[in-house]
Amino acid sequence: MSVLLAAAFLLQQITVAPANADTAQLSKAATPRVTFHANEASATRAPWVDSNGWRYLRQPDGHFYCEAPGATAAALAAGEAFAYGVHVAIHTDDAGLAPLNKMLAFLSDAKGGDFSPLVNIGFVDDGSAEAGEFMNLLVRRNLLFRVVKQADPKLDLTVTPGSAEYPKAEAVNPSLLAEKVRGNLTDAKRLLRIYGSEVVVGRLVGNGDAARLYLINYGAARSPARGLRVRILGTFSKQQAVQFDSAETQLTDVSTDSGATEFTLPELKTFAMINLAK
Amino acid sequence: MLSHSGTLPEYRVVTRFQPSGKMGFPGPYPGRAVRVRSERAVDAASNSINASAVKSMLSRGMRELTGATGDHDAWSHFISPSDTVGIKVNCSGAPEINSNPELVSAIIDNLIAVGVPADRIYIYDRFENQLKIVNFGPKVAAGVKISGAESARGSILGYDPRTYVEVNFFGEEDTRSNLIRLVSDTFTKVINVPTMKEHRAAGVTGCLKNIAYGDFSNVARSHQKEKTNTYSFIGTLAAVEPLRSRTVLNIMDGLRSLWQGGPFLQSPKFLFFPKQIVLGTDPVTLDHVLLDMIEDKRKKEGAPSLFERGANHLKRGPELDPQYNSFIREPGHIEYASTLGLGVFDKARIKETVIEL
Repeated sequence: MSVLLAAAFLLQQITVAPANADTAQLSKAATPRVTFHANEASATRAPWVDSNGWRYLRQPDGHFYCEAPGATAAALAAGEAFAYGVHVAIHTDDAGLAPLNKMLAFLSDAKGGDFSPLVNIGFVDDGSAEAGEFMNLLVRRNLLFRVVKQADPKLDLTVTPGSAEYPKAEAVNPSLLAEKVRGNLTDAKRLLRIYGSEVVVGRLVGNGDAARLYLINYGAARSPARGLRVRILGTFSKQQAVQFDSAETQLTDVSTDSGATEFTLPELKTFAMINLAK
Repeated sequence: MLSHSGTLPEYRVVTRFQPSGKMGFPGPYPGRAVRVRSERAVDAASNSINASAVKSMLSRGMRELTGATGDHDAWSHFISPSDTVGIKVNCSGAPEINSNPELVSAIIDNLIAVGVPADRIYIYDRFENQLKIVNFGPKVAAGVKISGAESARGSILGYDPRTYVEVNFFGEEDTRSNLIRLVSDTFTKVINVPTMKEHRAAGVTGCLKNIAYGDFSNVARSHQKEKTNTYSFIGTLAAVEPLRSRTVLNIMDGLRSLWQGGPFLQSPKFLFFPKQIVLGTDPVTLDHVLLDMIEDKRKKEGAPSLFERGANHLKRGPELDPQYNSFIREPGHIEYASTLGLGVFDKARIKETVIEL
């Protein structure tokens, strides 16, 4: 049964859509989750993450509509939209309503910070479906990028689909293309690494002296991520974690060696924010 | 004999520990193996272990290895009352084939006799659910701790985030394999108690594989495809400090064994009963003994050599036909480990003593 009678304004960019909402003018976003394609041939055994990150990066000023039924998906959709700073109308069901409202309250409390995305890859997006899938794989692998019109010398790497390095002929296997991007950037230059889960995606923002990492567990409906090791390029002497649906979150085994900050998040249920300062 | 071609992966070892003492691989007895066999050790008809016979085998083997006249002296070569001891068992084939509680119990009794309190003795492995299947608790001295690094599969919390090997085998995102935290933070000594089995990826699983893949996270990634990385990964992990220096003794459990489809018993027809244990400090030497044992058995059964690399013997799926395997086995991982200084592989330099009780 669809609920949500009142389209309440809860955050600047996230609204709760009524059942009869006119969504024709909105871009459709996927239900954030993990699916397993056990009976399909694939290059890897990795679970399939349905993330909207690439859509939101392609259309940062777009207005989206997300159908998110169930106790987890709606809250996840709100956290995801907040992390990417996009406008999303979320429609959920009875089970999703309370968690969604709780998440919106959590995000309202967490606002603050004049942050911009921290990326070191530029992606020249031609708007094609192939480029979209390419971007999707970069998001899933936590290869942090923004869409650019042309090569930006301030970035470590520019990816241009259809170029000699990333030819269209290879677009049939976007996973390999993403791996090529990773190799060209090198792991040492990656701004963010996440160890211990294949279904957690991070979004890093900052302003020079401070940064914030959003962690989104797309597999939250199945289980929390039990133990994540996170590596962020750059030294941040202060770290503080807050987590939706968890009263207290302590980071453990923190280290700030070799120009990187590392810590362990003992458990990630759905969505967390790690606030970092130099 | 290495039987490996191609370039090796690039490994990055991160650890804050330095080698310490004369113990550890290959330890005070390089190139030495003591094999003790007793017909009474296993009743094959009922598939049951004779604890009394196993205790005698352990006693005889330890005295032979060390030259001591009594058990206390023999164990004191390796363990002191102030130690905290981890016993690395192998439960991957449980309940059909694993480190037997009768042997583990006998080891623990000797540790306690030396003066190690029961609550400073740990039976440990990676997966808690497999330890629960074996259920060591009621079968060993009271107070001994039993610990699985992963209470939930895939959890990294039981591992040391500062001690790991980083390698990218095939583009996987998680490129780290971390050492079990108890090994780096708690244990002063480790006793390695592997089973003696064929392994469909590594060729055999004995001392090296049990201490390597059984002490680090995220290792199954090395054998996801026909051509695996077990050849170099096993030795690389076994050489990481402090694991290498703290593992002072290997006692291979060959009471039961399997010659095909390992590490799990995929069919009862692959189970056999060598009724032996093999002791030493040199994991390479002991694994060479194991390699010969499995090769002999496979030859008798008409199965291809573990060193067979032909595509005509490759077939994905359950390994129920001994002519086929899902992977190209890498028994050369044992000789490769010798090149890392972990022990003696050259048969001419190995002294093996065989004792029949």
